[in-house]
Amino acid sequence: MRDRYLKYLFVMPAVLVVFTAAIWPLIQSFYMSFREWKLSRSRFSRPLWEYEYDGWENISYLFENYLRAFEDDAMWNAVRVTSTFTVASVVFTIGLALALALLLAPGGRFRFTVRTLLILPFAMSPALIGVSWRFMFQPDFGLFKAFFDVLIPPLADADWLGDPTLALIAVTGSDVWHWTPYLTLVFIGGLANVPRDAQEAAMIDGAPAWMVFRDVTLPSMLPVLAVGVILKTIFSLKMFDQVFMLTNGGPGNATQTLAHFIYFQGFKYYDMGYASAVSYLLVIPMFGLTWLYMRLVFLKK
Amino acid sequence: MSMSNRSRKKLLDFLQFLVILLAAIIILVPIYWIVSGAFKQQVDIFQLKLLFTPTLDNFKIIFKSPYNLFDKLVNSTLVALSTVMITIPLATLAAYSFSRFRMKAEKVMFVTILATQFVPAVVIVLPFFILFRDIGILDTRLALVLVNLSLIMPFAIWMIKGFIDGIPLDTEEAALVDGSGRIQVVLNVVIPMALPGVITAGIFCFILAWNEFLFALIITTNKAVTLPVGLSLFHAEEGVLWHLISAAGIMIMLPMFVLATLIQKHFVQGMTMGAVR
Repeated sequence: MRDRYLKYLFVMPAVLVVFTAAIWPLIQSFYMSFREWKLSRSRFSRPLWEYEYDGWENISYLFENYLRAFEDDAMWNAVRVTSTFTVASVVFTIGLALALALLLAPGGRFRFTVRTLLILPFAMSPALIGVSWRFMFQPDFGLFKAFFDVLIPPLADADWLGDPTLALIAVTGSDVWHWTPYLTLVFIGGLANVPRDAQEAAMIDGAPAWMVFRDVTLPSMLPVLAVGVILKTIFSLKMFDQVFMLTNGGPGNATQTLAHFIYFQGFKYYDMGYASAVSYLLVIPMFGLTWLYMRLVFLKK
Repeated sequence: MSMSNRSRKKLLDFLQFLVILLAAIIILVPIYWIVSGAFKQQVDIFQLKLLFTPTLDNFKIIFKSPYNLFDKLVNSTLVALSTVMITIPLATLAAYSFSRFRMKAEKVMFVTILATQFVPAVVIVLPFFILFRDIGILDTRLALVLVNLSLIMPFAIWMIKGFIDGIPLDTEEAALVDGSGRIQVVLNVVIPMALPGVITAGIFCFILAWNEFLFALIITTNKAVTLPVGLSLFHAEEGVLWHLISAAGIMIMLPMFVLATLIQKHFVQGMTMGAVR
């Protein structure tokens, strides 16, 4: 068979799989977001707006799921939690990873040994991370309690998972632990591409280390840093596993992220239409970030 | 100056050493906490002492009724393995085409495939849950494999394309000139050369599928429950059974530590899609 046709034949199965496994559900969720569907009451969905009954002047009924979302305090709470969590986790993960990468970049046996440890947290199931952190945060016998008893006594009796602010810090902490080592490895890779001679020339000229970092190292690290920031932001916005296992959104809904909120609407209240509408409110910023990410990745080629 | 440059540098080196050591400890503590918990008796779980009488009982208990962790282990293994077995051949063919040919809408197809990995899993699972309920395959391994494909395929295509890009064209062209068809060339020349890369991608995808949580949480309830979802089983009237959770945790993380270490370098590239080398 000629290559002209063969090349499409080769791509077709994979494209078909991606289409049914990812694109179809995206389209289907979009469609469902304009329908009413309490799965607990009915096997079938119902349109929110029908011309025959409602007439054109009531076409806004069509957007009822979306309008409801905008008036839902719990939804806005999830938006707030997701934003706070995303900003905090991105800032801490990127900052710590960059610092650690700079410390580990020089090489040598000790540093190399530590580098091999960096792979471990990211190979762990996020659900397991959530569970193990809950274990460590147990107020009566947890590791953190013992730790703070010695170091920061006022925090020793803190009810980590019972206090709204502390619970969000706990979730963020588990996520920073999960991602920092991984991004450190990414940044070490980026540091290897920093022009050595420029660094050395600056050092020989007697420039202090922080100036070399600011004027030579950082500028050539910018593309890698940007990739890290966008990637981490995307994954922070999707945060679900650790929230579910560590706090299950609580106390109250103090740590309920958008993904967790959608999960609750869809699979606790079985309100598929509403869950779909809210999930589109999450998908839209994600499209923007993905577009940005793709531009960054393919700009280099 | 009271301190010579030399001793200042020594002090700085020592401080760096301390910070790196602290980072290493922070990485290891939660892992140590799980490992030590798995070998503790239930009475010792509530104690922080470093010396305790280790026991293997927890591993015996988790495989017995009512926990039956062996079933979950089988589910996790079969689901991850089937996902990889379906993904890798299809991804290899597609990656070969993307690497070697110009196609209509090539860029659109490629970018769309890669972009799907960023769609939140909770959005994908809503329609699939309804579909699976309607055709009656909720709580089956088959259903879980089908949704996992959406997660795995983009990574597999990207990674394998990177490996095929690195194979020089000469051997392939020589075989084509000798009169072999394109399919023979792919089977006899390209795949053997790309095999280490294909296996690496397979291991990476296996880790992703093994650790997947949200799909399994929603699609499975009983028969097809995987290990990460199975972690929620260990509750008793007296509270959470941390010693059993820890033992199950070892079953989840240890195999992945081994696999991830095997493909260490590519593990980092896999997630960033080659944006960083």
